[in-house]
Amino acid sequence: MSMTRFCEELTALLPRLRRFARGLTQDSADADDLCQQTIERALKARQQWQEGTRLDAWVYRIMRNQWIDEVRARTRRSQTFAHEDEGMNVGVAGDRDAENRVELGNVERALQRLPEDQREAVVLVMVEGFGYKEAADILGIPQGTLTSRLGRGREALLRELGEAA
Amino acid sequence: MKVTDEELMAYADGELSPVDAARIEAAVASDPDLALRLDAERKLRAALRGHLDPVAEEPVPDAWKAMIAAAAEEDKQAEERKVVSLAAARAEKAKKAAQDARETARARPFMQRWGTGVAIAASLALGVFMGTQLTLKGSVSDRDGTLVASGTLARGLDRQLAAASEEESLQILTSFQRRDGDYCRVFASGGTSGIACKDDRGWVLERTINGGTRQGTQYRQAGSANSELMAAAQEMAKGAPLDAEQEKAAKANGWKD
Repeated sequence: MSMTRFCEELTALLPRLRRFARGLTQDSADADDLCQQTIERALKARQQWQEGTRLDAWVYRIMRNQWIDEVRARTRRSQTFAHEDEGMNVGVAGDRDAENRVELGNVERALQRLPEDQREAVVLVMVEGFGYKEAADILGIPQGTLTSRLGRGREALLRELGEAA
Repeated sequence: MKVTDEELMAYADGELSPVDAARIEAAVASDPDLALRLDAERKLRAALRGHLDPVAEEPVPDAWKAMIAAAAEEDKQAEERKVVSLAAARAEKAKKAAQDARETARARPFMQRWGTGVAIAASLALGVFMGTQLTLKGSVSDRDGTLVASGTLARGLDRQLAAASEEESLQILTSFQRRDGDYCRVFASGGTSGIACKDDRGWVLERTINGGTRQGTQYRQAGSANSELMAAAQEMAKGAPLDAEQEKAAKANGWKD
């Protein structure tokens, strides 16, 4: 595929990418930052994309890895922060969760509470509609690991939403 | 029939084979509890999508599209540059080919005339030869450390024309003027060929190639010797070799300008 078609297909993917970003980050500003960074990375690496492979899976992988980097960086920052100011509230998500609890829908709250690895599995399969194999490829994990994370995430969501209902 | 959570999940996710899916469907139909679990699975999916799908409906920021469009434009220009540089390379190549052709054309007169002398199978020894090894013995003399033609060779070089040399013991293969204006002649005599150039006192042997006689491992194919000698002539020559008229005129003038 020519690079022109690459760009066309990437443009067509943007709405879905944004949805996935929101699913990963659970925050619209974070999601849009993540989207922008992902587009930049994908464009920079566009010569490396191999024709005949799924462009969506390729870009999703970039986005997911970018987000993992971001989560790690935030964890480091918040750890430093907690270390320096013992007793202060820690964790960006924790703050927001506490503040916004009343406004958040049940689903959003339940998703936010999921561990990162379960959330990405749930979102890829149940929202983005990837098969188990493709989702496992995007995450770089064996399919068995994917289904186990998916099962646990689902269970937690069902429990939470069941309670909330 | 027992249906595991994992199976139910895989069924809900459309990951089961048709046979397994049919088995789950049958089980669900006969088990209200299982039907409830499946219903919960489906509601969960619907809830997740209901939460996230609207994000995909939002208009995409123009800045993102612009980033991609800019990259596409960049690629297009790179592609065009590539086409342009390809065309330039092709033109350059054509130019070089034309130049090569001109050079070959200039060298051709040497090669064509040399063709009349291909009978010479030679072992090559570039440079000045030991006089004793030359089959031209008696036709070469030493002049202050320089080998010059004497006797029949000197006479032949003086008198013979390239065109008329076929039956003679001496063959003149071609004549040319080298860059300093001296006249030179490529000759073959017996088993030896070479290039002799006329200075004010005689024919100096600039190059000699001993042909016909094998000298151990020094034996070389005639073609190789030909090209070596012609390359040497080409190297020395100022322009093309003399044609018959020019050669005649040069001879008439005593091989002097």
